[in-house]
Amino acid sequence: MRLRSLRKWRPSLAHGLAIGVMAVAAVLLLDGLMHVLTAQTPFGGPRPSAEPQVGGIVGWLLAKQSEFYREISSTIRVAKSDGSAVWTLLAISFAYGIFHAAGPGHGKAVISSYLVANQETARRGVVLSFASALTQSLVAVVIVAIGALMLNATAKAMCGAEKTIEIASYALIAAFGARLVWTKGGGFMRALQGSRPALAMVAATHHHDHHNDDHVHDEHCGHAHGPEPSELAGPGGWRRGFGAIFAVGLRPCSGAILVLVFALAQGLFWAGIAATFVMGIGTAITVAAIAVMAVSARDVARRLSGAKEGGGALFMRGVEFAAAGLVLLFGVGLLFGYLTAERVTCF
Amino acid sequence: MGNATHRCLALVLLAGTLVFGPQAAQAHPHVWITSTSELIYAPDGSITGVRHAWTFDDMFSTYALQGIESKTKGVYSHEELAPLAQTNVESLKEFGYFTFAKADGKKQKFIEPVDYFLDYKDGLLILHFTLPLQTPVKSKELALEVFDPTFFVDFKLADKDPVKLVGAPAACQVSFQRPNDGAASAQKLGEQNFISGDNSNFGAMFANKIMVACP
Repeated sequence: MRLRSLRKWRPSLAHGLAIGVMAVAAVLLLDGLMHVLTAQTPFGGPRPSAEPQVGGIVGWLLAKQSEFYREISSTIRVAKSDGSAVWTLLAISFAYGIFHAAGPGHGKAVISSYLVANQETARRGVVLSFASALTQSLVAVVIVAIGALMLNATAKAMCGAEKTIEIASYALIAAFGARLVWTKGGGFMRALQGSRPALAMVAATHHHDHHNDDHVHDEHCGHAHGPEPSELAGPGGWRRGFGAIFAVGLRPCSGAILVLVFALAQGLFWAGIAATFVMGIGTAITVAAIAVMAVSARDVARRLSGAKEGGGALFMRGVEFAAAGLVLLFGVGLLFGYLTAERVTCF
Repeated sequence: MGNATHRCLALVLLAGTLVFGPQAAQAHPHVWITSTSELIYAPDGSITGVRHAWTFDDMFSTYALQGIESKTKGVYSHEELAPLAQTNVESLKEFGYFTFAKADGKKQKFIEPVDYFLDYKDGLLILHFTLPLQTPVKSKELALEVFDPTFFVDFKLADKDPVKLVGAPAACQVSFQRPNDGAASAQKLGEQNFISGDNSNFGAMFANKIMVACP
């Protein structure tokens, strides 16, 4: 990336631009959140634009996703007599995974927000996306293997387990978000109070402070440097990342569980397991792509705003703080059922 | 400057990616139901309730039958399915039975279902239940919507005879709209306040609308 050239910009211009874009971003975020929050009940809060879009990207994703999902069951049936249909099954599952993640799921929103908040690299974003998606697959397989295969539990019982796990997952996301808000809030407050020297001091102290993640990383500021990959993978680095994976990945996809139980009933449990993991890989690809976009956008924002002034650092701390806030908001929203669409529905 | 525009776009993407996800999250069907409904009328011409027959899709039917014992493999009697039917109607309460009615523009309430049972035919589960109105109502215009606002369930009116009037006055005319009818979308523009008031919601665009006019 030829970002160096940006440094030559007059700071005021870059800064103004960054603030302008951020304002747009803030409006977008708020709008999105309002949509999410007001969609809570069938007759919930007001929605100004009453005509929802059927077509467009969402409609298309939806149609594709439904199409693939419905093909999964028929393909499993065919696979009972024709083994080669398993390949078709895997291909469909892969496609379903990709489209599925592009539509629903708080997973990518939480992961992207976390990556932005915690100054993660794109590479780690990809790793985290794959790890969380595959955790999700694994949890689904474990639930069905224990519930249906070993205990011959009813769908109701399994769905109950799913619900419990789901609530635990949401609580973890909320807790994780709260922790991020706490640490990022610290950084933001310091950036808010501090002039440049103060920031430089804070940044400088971080060499002695590796276990504390509320230090300020800012490559544009004094002796501070951006996080090294090795440093991120150190104490608190990967561990924090695994916290995100666990919180998000713990909640299995209802679709995967349906597919697994269906495959089991057809005597093709192994094919269901394979399909679930392939689905997970498809999901991971989409989530990773979105995560990389989020991280790149943040890096661009940092470069745009960074320039040479403390204001840029303040801006980035603000972005991180806001992203941390989003993680918390998602967690709380999911936990208290504002995002009902993401609730497991048991019949 | 071209570069700057590019980078601006990237920033907007940052926000967009964080926003788009949760919004689209509402689009998530995992269960498909093919529905037929009978509208039940009392001798005095008032509607007393709705009798639904909902056929679940292949995958969900199999899933729901997991762990349910039957004497003969692959055959399930009403008695064997009774606990499942019980679970079904109990869980449906939370979702308002996915059935929303308005009589002459006034929202109607349903009480708990009666006469519910499950059939198992050709590998599919069919849930039968009658949803009584809290107060039977006589109306010129009755509108009934069947849909899941969160779109976890995708409702579809049966291809053949999805709606029937039972014991209705002879003058009553029934019509219906499927969600993907062009007519339905056009109608929606003029009828935004139909069921959800101004609070339109995502699943509403997948609503199946049944209308009865009794002049």
